[in-house]
Amino acid sequence: MAFVNVLLTQIVTYTTVYTLASLGVVIAGRTGVFNVAGEGIMLASASAGFLAAFFSGNWLVGFAVGALMGALLGAILIFLHETFLVSQFILGISLVIFGSGISDLLYKLVMGVRLQAPIAPATPDVTIPLLGRIPIVGAFLNHDLIVYLMYVLVGASWWFFYRTKRGLETRAIGENPVAADVVGVPVVRRRYIATIVGSACIGIAGAYLPIVIIETYAPDIAAGRGFMAIGIAIFASWKPQRAFIGGMLFAAIEVISFQLQIVSDQIPFQFFLMLPFVAVLAVMVLFKSRIEFPAAVGKPYSRE
Amino acid sequence: MGDIKRKFARGVLIYGVSIGLSLALVLAVLALLGYDVGRAFTTLFFTSFRSAFGFRETIKKAIPLMFTTYAFTIPFMIKFFNIGGWGQMLFGGTAVTVVSLLLAPVGLPAIVLVPMLLVVGMAAGALPAGVAGWLKARHDINPIISTIMLNFVAFYTVNLAATADRFKDPTAGHPITIPLPAAATLGTWWGIPQSILGAVAAVVFVHLLLERTRLGYEIRAVGYNENAARTYGINFEKTILFTFLLSGALAGLGGTFEVMNIHGKLIEGFAKTSGAQYGILGILTSLVVAGNPLSVPVAAFFMSVLLVGADSLQRVMQVPVEMVFVSQAVIVMSVVVLRTRLSGKGR
Amino acid sequence: MTRPLVELRAVSKQFGTVRALDGVDFSVQRCEIRGLLGENGAGKSTLMKVLYGLYAPDSGEVRVDGEPVHIASPRDSIDLGIGMVHQVSTLVPEFNAVENIMMGGEGDSFTLPVAAVERRIRELSDDFGLEFPLDAKVKGVSAGVKQKIEIVRALYRGARLLILDEPTTSLVESEFVQLLESLKRLVTRGVTVIFITHKMREVMEACDSVTVMRKGRVQSSLGRGEMTKERLVKLMFLERDIDITDSALPNVTVKPTKRSARPLLELDTVGAPGLHDLSFHVHGGEIVGVAAVSGNGERELAEIIVHPRNITSGEIRVDGASVNGLSTLDVFAWGVAFTPEDRVHEGVLNDGSIVENTLLGHHGEARFVSHRGFVRWNAVRQATRSVISEYNVDTPDETLAIRRLSGGNMQKSIIGRAFVSDPRVLVTHNPTSGLDISTVEFIFERLVRMRTEGGAVLWISEDLDELMILSDRIVVLHGGSIAGEFDRDRFDKVAIGLKMIGG
Repeated sequence: MAFVNVLLTQIVTYTTVYTLASLGVVIAGRTGVFNVAGEGIMLASASAGFLAAFFSGNWLVGFAVGALMGALLGAILIFLHETFLVSQFILGISLVIFGSGISDLLYKLVMGVRLQAPIAPATPDVTIPLLGRIPIVGAFLNHDLIVYLMYVLVGASWWFFYRTKRGLETRAIGENPVAADVVGVPVVRRRYIATIVGSACIGIAGAYLPIVIIETYAPDIAAGRGFMAIGIAIFASWKPQRAFIGGMLFAAIEVISFQLQIVSDQIPFQFFLMLPFVAVLAVMVLFKSRIEFPAAVGKPYSRE
Repeated sequence: MGDIKRKFARGVLIYGVSIGLSLALVLAVLALLGYDVGRAFTTLFFTSFRSAFGFRETIKKAIPLMFTTYAFTIPFMIKFFNIGGWGQMLFGGTAVTVVSLLLAPVGLPAIVLVPMLLVVGMAAGALPAGVAGWLKARHDINPIISTIMLNFVAFYTVNLAATADRFKDPTAGHPITIPLPAAATLGTWWGIPQSILGAVAAVVFVHLLLERTRLGYEIRAVGYNENAARTYGINFEKTILFTFLLSGALAGLGGTFEVMNIHGKLIEGFAKTSGAQYGILGILTSLVVAGNPLSVPVAAFFMSVLLVGADSLQRVMQVPVEMVFVSQAVIVMSVVVLRTRLSGKGR
Repeated sequence: MTRPLVELRAVSKQFGTVRALDGVDFSVQRCEIRGLLGENGAGKSTLMKVLYGLYAPDSGEVRVDGEPVHIASPRDSIDLGIGMVHQVSTLVPEFNAVENIMMGGEGDSFTLPVAAVERRIRELSDDFGLEFPLDAKVKGVSAGVKQKIEIVRALYRGARLLILDEPTTSLVESEFVQLLESLKRLVTRGVTVIFITHKMREVMEACDSVTVMRKGRVQSSLGRGEMTKERLVKLMFLERDIDITDSALPNVTVKPTKRSARPLLELDTVGAPGLHDLSFHVHGGEIVGVAAVSGNGERELAEIIVHPRNITSGEIRVDGASVNGLSTLDVFAWGVAFTPEDRVHEGVLNDGSIVENTLLGHHGEARFVSHRGFVRWNAVRQATRSVISEYNVDTPDETLAIRRLSGGNMQKSIIGRAFVSDPRVLVTHNPTSGLDISTVEFIFERLVRMRTEGGAVLWISEDLDELMILSDRIVVLHGGSIAGEFDRDRFDKVAIGLKMIGG
């Protein structure tokens, strides 16, 4: 039982990364912006966020800077897309490359070469009395504030998209931007907001890796999770609540395959390392018939 | 004819502005950090041409880069993104290593072994790309995701082969295999890798295929407008599959040449240069020429000049190579923006 | 004279090199139905999109209630009480009617007051005879219902000026009468209507006054008593030799021909996704029209003839031989040619040259491709040049990207391509939509020529008026089944229209 709880606690930690990153993809996708820059945003935010946390000695500053870096890259993406109608995919891929370049460059320029790996300032856990002591439930609760932020963001975005008029209008943009435009919904402004807010979420996910999970910076720290987040968003049919489920699923696969790799000596460990990546594809094939896309996702919109 | 002149002027404008912009950015940052800007400039652009060594290094980088650039460019013609060029290279390199080490006791002569290995490498590269193409054609899974996921599978496959008891080099601290038998390796001419022949053949083949054949026409037609192509009898799914197989085979060949001609063995994390994966560099290079397959060899050479310059910057002036890497991403974004702007259409 | 409700002064708008609006003055009085008449491309929609805030004019002024206003987006025009129903549905297919109607507007941003909105919608529906289901997803309802939803949406937002852009495109005769009824009720309740159309007859039946546009300029405005067909034709087209019907179509005459003994195209109880038990035939020397309200299987019908692999039951025969199971290229090789409904999205390789476009669909023919798979570009270029000269395609040369051609020239090159290899059967879907009258006439004459030369033409169109001009027979499709078949001597707009909506 204790083992299950430890495992679950670890899964929830990774769930935070996957869910926040895919939530960012979902939010932008609902306005028709297919943000494939996630990997680059996570990397750049990981580097910037870690450096900020390290030098300020404050984890919160780290996350704020990570979110800002994400928002900045998101702003570049949406600005170039809306102003010049450049393909979202080309911009996204360019930003992946840009972000991964920036992350190491920034780190090398600011940190230089150090003999000992710099350690991130600790992020305090917030425990909830009573509830936190129940097994299973407790595994979801005894965490740092970013985990709680993730819960709040998932709930808030569900409420926004499905229980408010503004959310309805925002979803309309992703389904048919013309329909939103002709009734006076400010399409471009909402796309800016959604892309920037979503990218900030991805940035927080990126900063979470060096600040909380490995507590130091390492090159290529996102290790494909930014791309897996896109897979999760698709698997989730671009719904926030399902992004949480998908995030949890992939966190579980990652954590469990890591455990299996230690336990098993029959099967080469590389197969367990491959597992999460193959699982993304398998899940997408298996749930193919249930996946729905916002009809206009990825398409540019212009009146003339 | 006015059209051609205008196109040329537009090209000069696009590349002039983009390269100028990113260069200004890099030099400004370097100046801020206190580097000698003039020296950095000449190092970046002229290292390739100042010595035979520089030129050879440039060719060495240009060959694999050209293959991964094709690997991205060909599916990009039909508006799909093959981000898996790197993984396809790794698969190609791994397959030729495994096959040549397994066949080592047989002692086949080079004349038999080399062509066989080239085919094996291409097939191994085509495999993961074909899976991605199939996933798109059959299950409508975005190749951006599938090819990336397969990159990771490829990375661990290299690791698996390079650490297998049968193949691993026990003296190395890093996952590396023992060397390939001599008959399975290629040599050099005046320091230029013999794989240049393969690269030239690939250029001719791709040009002929795309410009002169029905298959090439069908690929272009799908790229222009998949609905129209479908309406008029072009099999969309088959075209997807074919372009991915072709692009994977070319990337696989690139990986094969890296193993057979450069390293002579399989090394974890190979298929990189100047600290970047050839796959990523191929994407950048391809986007710079807006996915025009005819410009690929030239673009690959130009990018290699920059990479050789970047290596030299790092060596001589301690400028991190990522600097050039970031500036290339800036060139790409600037080129795509200007191109969409000047041609008056969104994509 | 009272102050006009809306006034546009000297409005100009340029798209690229095309002058879409050239110093247009236009005004509407309160509580009338004002027709805005002109042929395709005259600038009617562009003008109204300027008024609605979708296009920013290059110059000119807009006044509402006599006050100059700046309309930068639909939000501004909605605030001024302007509503617009567009030619193509602007509803969100995934949403139901209520969700579609409640979108936009001020206030209540962070609640979802469904019940209150439903109540208001019901009131409006009852008042103006515009009923529709409230909670069905819009993607499943007919074009007529979508139009009602859009009208109610505009009224819900407090429109006192309602602009309808070609509202009759997918309505049959009886629905047109119903719409007119609702519009008249709106006018008595203080709403002003602008009715955009290219058909003189509709203006004469529906409107209190009319403004005629031609080539981006206003020709003239006429009151109810001044509208005669002759006058409207003259304003729309200036001097022309061709005879024009009251639906503004060229009145091309068809002479009796000898039809072939054996049908060239036969559908025998054909079933496919969206189609049930279709049986009809087209002989050589015959034009058969297929009339259907958009969304009733007409796309699927065109689709199944050129992609017969998707047949689930029955048989399609071309010149007596079954084509079931053949690939598209094989069907083409059998002498079938095709022009699809949506020119830009299905008809052309946009960035490809005219030469590359000519090869499309012929890329399996030995004339153009060697048996080793090499394209004979010289032959393709030759064929392209003859299409350009024979069909008067206006282009500097054959290497131009086809997207740079005008709509009419693009369509002419698509039709020309269809005839490159002398087809026996032509399947053509809405070939004239959105084109000016001389191009329409050109296409009509090409269809008639094919008929005279003994070919079979299957012509799918949602414009019953044009089908009635040329067809020897009309087959009516409704809900994917054949709802009726009419010979030329029994053509009747009302009767066919009723069949089209399942009456």
